[in-house]
Amino acid sequence: MWRRLPAVLLLALFGCPIVLGLLGTLLPALGATPNLAPGNGFAMVLQDSRFVGATLLSLKTGLGATLLVLLFTIIALVSLHNSRLWVWLSATLPPLLAVPHAAIAVGLVFLIAPSGALVRLLSPAITGWTRPPDMWLIPDVYGLSLILGLVIKETPFLLLTAAAQLPQLNVDASLKIGRTLGYSPARCWSRLILPQLYPRIRLTLLIIMAFNLTVVDMALLLGPSNPPTLSVFLMSLVNDPGSRAAASAGAVLLAVLVAVCFAVVVILERLVSTVARVRARSGARGRGSSLFRVFGKLLALLSVSLSIAALFVLLIWSVTQRWRFPDAYPSAWAFDRWFSGNSSLIDPAISTLTIASAAALLAMVAAVTWLELERRGCAPKIDGIWFIPLLVPQVSLLFGWQAMAYWVGADGHWLTVVYTHWLYTMPYVILILAVAWRELDPAWSHAAHALGAGYWRVLFIIRLPLLIKPLSQAFAIAIAVSVAQYLPTLLLGGGRHQTLAIELVTSFGGVDRRTIAALAVLQSVLPLIAFVLALLYPRWCSARLARKNALASRQWIRS
Amino acid sequence: MHPLHVNGLTLQLPGGQFLVRELTFRIEPGEVLVLMGPSGSGKSSILAWLTGTADPRICASGDVWLGDTCITSLPTEKRRLGLMLQQDYLFPHMSVGDNLLFGLRGGTRTERLAKVCDSLSNAGLEGMQGRDPSTLSGGQRARVSLARTLLSDPCALLLDEPFSRLDTAMREQIRRFTWDSAARLPVLLVTHDTFDAPEGATILDIGQSDAVGPVVRAEMKDAR
Repeated sequence: MWRRLPAVLLLALFGCPIVLGLLGTLLPALGATPNLAPGNGFAMVLQDSRFVGATLLSLKTGLGATLLVLLFTIIALVSLHNSRLWVWLSATLPPLLAVPHAAIAVGLVFLIAPSGALVRLLSPAITGWTRPPDMWLIPDVYGLSLILGLVIKETPFLLLTAAAQLPQLNVDASLKIGRTLGYSPARCWSRLILPQLYPRIRLTLLIIMAFNLTVVDMALLLGPSNPPTLSVFLMSLVNDPGSRAAASAGAVLLAVLVAVCFAVVVILERLVSTVARVRARSGARGRGSSLFRVFGKLLALLSVSLSIAALFVLLIWSVTQRWRFPDAYPSAWAFDRWFSGNSSLIDPAISTLTIASAAALLAMVAAVTWLELERRGCAPKIDGIWFIPLLVPQVSLLFGWQAMAYWVGADGHWLTVVYTHWLYTMPYVILILAVAWRELDPAWSHAAHALGAGYWRVLFIIRLPLLIKPLSQAFAIAIAVSVAQYLPTLLLGGGRHQTLAIELVTSFGGVDRRTIAALAVLQSVLPLIAFVLALLYPRWCSARLARKNALASRQWIRS
Repeated sequence: MHPLHVNGLTLQLPGGQFLVRELTFRIEPGEVLVLMGPSGSGKSSILAWLTGTADPRICASGDVWLGDTCITSLPTEKRRLGLMLQQDYLFPHMSVGDNLLFGLRGGTRTERLAKVCDSLSNAGLEGMQGRDPSTLSGGQRARVSLARTLLSDPCALLLDEPFSRLDTAMREQIRRFTWDSAARLPVLLVTHDTFDAPEGATILDIGQSDAVGPVVRAEMKDAR
């Protein structure tokens, strides 16, 4: 019993907020907390004329983006695998993945808006425009810009998840066998690789779908406002004390909507798998098309170029003094924004960094503790539970957490914000560390124990140094996840913690482009620095060890 | 059936080292050519080049013919060369029957199912079409893998150490099954073990040369 106590405590720390959060959303929705949320929430939200439009828009953008993410991932895998472009993409995508959604969204706006960098590059020489055109708008009423933003941000996530699974599927051998049996490469992928790959990326796809259906920051920046997406609409309700019950009821309905979408995906999977099995039995070989490969390469290049261009435009705007339309580039530069100790940048950066560091550190300690407990048989192997916060819509959990925080008087507290960030960083840290932890040969520990080392000595001197690479990567990803958190900081921070994500989204409508760009660049740079350090630290450790060993061996020879 | 004819094959590594130089051979239907040599001498690279799946960094010249058709520039799937590797690579998400149906070319549904049943029966695996490949023994898997290759109606068979992972007792049985099944095809076998070669096969020994790395000695002799 006592052996399992730490695992039970850790699970309680993680699971209780989820249960309490869901209860905290459900009870006001059912009218069980009249002081906090008076009225019949479900009736109020269903009677609101914006509800249906917002729901339909969420479905359209969320499902459309998810479908495109899956499609682009498959096309990229089939057309690029084993090519030189694939090697380049594998190196380019992880840093792009670290860039927060809000920063990419702002970059996209600055790139493709009517007064954006693309139009400026083409004007007036090609377009003839001397003023920004008013023929289209960002955000557009159809939610296309939101879909674009979600697709270019989420495709690398799914693609890298899929790429990580390929070595276990004997892809090269399957392709070789399939092709010598007469099948075209695309058919080999569709009949041999994808049916094995899909179950391994299903969870990631569902996480992406839940995110796309419920995202708030990107929808505020790129989505339409009348009607907005459902989660943005609910955010507008939750800020109005009289509509709290309606917001909670809407959050419950959003969670139900996401669950229904998951169910539809499962049903579709069954259908597609049945059809695929019948087709695989037909023996139809298919014809290989080099056009498909070219299309896939173009698509991947376009998607990555768009992300890089968006970030580049942000960088340009952050050092711009004057950039009149339709000039192709700024006519005056201002670097002092970065070097003058600007408090509108430094304060949110410090706030972001302290919260992210604390949350990442907590996540690392918790994940290492859990995995060690699991290794010693004191905790069960239950990976699925850590992903619950990523599968439940943020608004559905956070409205409840906010209500609970009010109730216990913890709202706005720094530790509350850190705790919330920890809940969202923990799944990623566990995801990365679990594989490495379980694969580490236990013989290392056995050998050390046989030499007389105790548990803690083996952990700190043998196991952790051997796992320094995944530990560094997990820490960097935890920092990136925390830096990108908008809604948890907004709802639990009570306006007292102005992180970069909060500043960026709230200042988007009013403050000038240069400051917004600087905020977005800073928000992108922090995770990138964490990634660079995660790459360099293990190398530095190895180099230091090599130097130390060389010194020791010289001293030994002399003696 | 047509003979498999390789003409003037030269394989060169990116560093300029020759793996194979001016290799020419011809395998008639029903004949087996055994390619032997030490590890790294280029045996598997020759098979990869024949199937069109060679590492693109390897510089290759020469051509390969099936009868009167030059297949050198055809994509892998059009060459009609059956391939069996060390591992059987039965697709784990398909049943034994589905693996065979995947290999089989053309025919109506009923014909296809009948052919699969016949093929399983020939391999001594009657009634196993619904089995999960992971529940089969190594020998059973090897037979299914060969049956799948043969059902794709290849014009020649390329075998890359297909018996090396089997235990001694199973080896002889699978060798016999293979040579009986592929009796009408030109067969190229890569192996380290001369006992893998059937009676009357020809051995092509790939030796070492200090100056240019492993090169083909093109020395033909009767097996055993």
